[in-house]
Amino acid sequence: MSSPTNTEQQLLEALAAGGRTATEQIYQQNYHILNSWLIKNGGTSADAADIFQEAMVVLFGKAQDEGFRLTCSIGTYLFAVSKHLWYKKLQQQYKSPVFLQEDTGEDEREGGIAYEDDINVHNEREAHYEQLNNALDQIGEPCRSLLKAYYHNDKNMQEIAADFGYTNPENAKNQKYKCLTRLRKLFYGVQAK
Amino acid sequence: MSINNNTWELAEAFIAGSLSQEEVIKLNTRLAGDVEFANEFNEATNLVSAMAGSGKQKRFRTMLRDIQENQTITSTPTKTKRIALPAHFWRTAAVAAGVAILTSTITMWSINYALKKNESKYNTISREVGAIKKVQAQQQAQQNKLIEIINTKAKPAVPTSDVKYTGTGFALTNDGYFVTAYHVISDGDSVYIQNHDGDYYKAFLVNFDADADVAILKVEKKNFHFGKGEVPYTFAGNKSPLGAGIFTLGYPKDEVVYSEGYISAKNGYQGNQQQYTLELPAGHGQSGSPVIDSKGNILGLLTAVGGQNEANTYAVSAKALLELLHTIPNANTFHLPRTNKLAGMNREQQIEKMEAYTFSVKVYKK
Repeated sequence: MSSPTNTEQQLLEALAAGGRTATEQIYQQNYHILNSWLIKNGGTSADAADIFQEAMVVLFGKAQDEGFRLTCSIGTYLFAVSKHLWYKKLQQQYKSPVFLQEDTGEDEREGGIAYEDDINVHNEREAHYEQLNNALDQIGEPCRSLLKAYYHNDKNMQEIAADFGYTNPENAKNQKYKCLTRLRKLFYGVQAK
Repeated sequence: MSINNNTWELAEAFIAGSLSQEEVIKLNTRLAGDVEFANEFNEATNLVSAMAGSGKQKRFRTMLRDIQENQTITSTPTKTKRIALPAHFWRTAAVAAGVAILTSTITMWSINYALKKNESKYNTISREVGAIKKVQAQQQAQQNKLIEIINTKAKPAVPTSDVKYTGTGFALTNDGYFVTAYHVISDGDSVYIQNHDGDYYKAFLVNFDADADVAILKVEKKNFHFGKGEVPYTFAGNKSPLGAGIFTLGYPKDEVVYSEGYISAKNGYQGNQQQYTLELPAGHGQSGSPVIDSKGNILGLLTAVGGQNEANTYAVSAKALLELLHTIPNANTFHLPRTNKLAGMNREQQIEKMEAYTFSVKVYKK
């Protein structure tokens, strides 16, 4: 991650891979604009951090698709998605006023639908992950810890074998498959009914 | 039916893309021929990729939180860090700095404009352009581009296509001062008004109060007048009682629209004392519309809709507007109308009289 990332596309690819340098760069270039906009629009700095991070996750999710190309700059995309997320949050709270100004920018309106779609896809994915995590919480030990160690904490089989007391990585791997089989029953079993 | 380890292994290899071409062909034949296996394999790949995806996203979220926390620390002045710019960014940075200087000069100028004469604007800008020319003489191509942008910004031509926001404004004095909601204009590059005759006039910002959501602007044109005589309405210095009947004129579309209602609460959104809550239908584009009582007093201007099912309309009280007026540098040269010409009229006559002093505010942004 130390190589310079010049173009937006390179930045996006590094972001998709979870690269810290690229993520930090995108964060720092775009966070402050949103922060000041949000404060002008009835939010706090804490809201700004929440909203912006959510927008970053939306972008991260989009960028996972290898064929993904942004039709606007990263900054424009993040700002637009953040705005949508904020308006949605305000709408959900119902008590907050929504400004009356008319948005006659054609581009923004067309783009607005695209951002809506991206946010909807993101929300579906979040719901899916949540179901998965619920299943994971019901699975029992040692499976829960083992799967979390492998998938969430990115540990390899060698480390897991050592941490969980298996004699070798191969045994740990077999245990992982058993756990996945159990998870599948919980997950798809619940879904089927 | 339990999935055996081979299927998991196959699913993992398939996702990782580590299967050979031969293995992929074999897999596809098996998937086509064995429905039960196909179903298992499908679920296995879905589950494994969802687990991997959710884990990856979780780590990404953790990293974001970490970046955010570090950001709060590094943004304190004691810990500022200088980052050396790579040589190939200098050119971009130089142009960016030029734009930044210029933009801030324009902003400064437009805020302080009321104190200056009309001509000073073009002088200021052309001098800035000259300065940039000197600094960046060797960067001919980029610099030309920059000047092009500046020129289009400075030219008071009537734009037609790139309206970004619209709102409503109304006159404070007949010689060109007017008021609208601050959020209507806050995000734009230039502001024009379009009066009921359809004519465009460029305006500049005189002063604003972002918290109260009020902005005072002035039409740029010399010897400009909204209407034939003085502004026909007066401004209420005190808050009006609950239940008072009100009406408004606004531009939710290209033509002026009338609506009426009453004051439903003395304070506004979340008890905001600078606001009223109104029972009044209002829509997009009506921000900044005057709220007028039956006797022709301006009680405030519309700012937002909201509340349960968006049933409420909020207006900034005229008091907040008057307070803002007092803070502008040349407040003493300001002559607000003292005689109310609407008081004895019926509603149709009042509206007719108001039309010249109420107009659409169009905000442009490149």
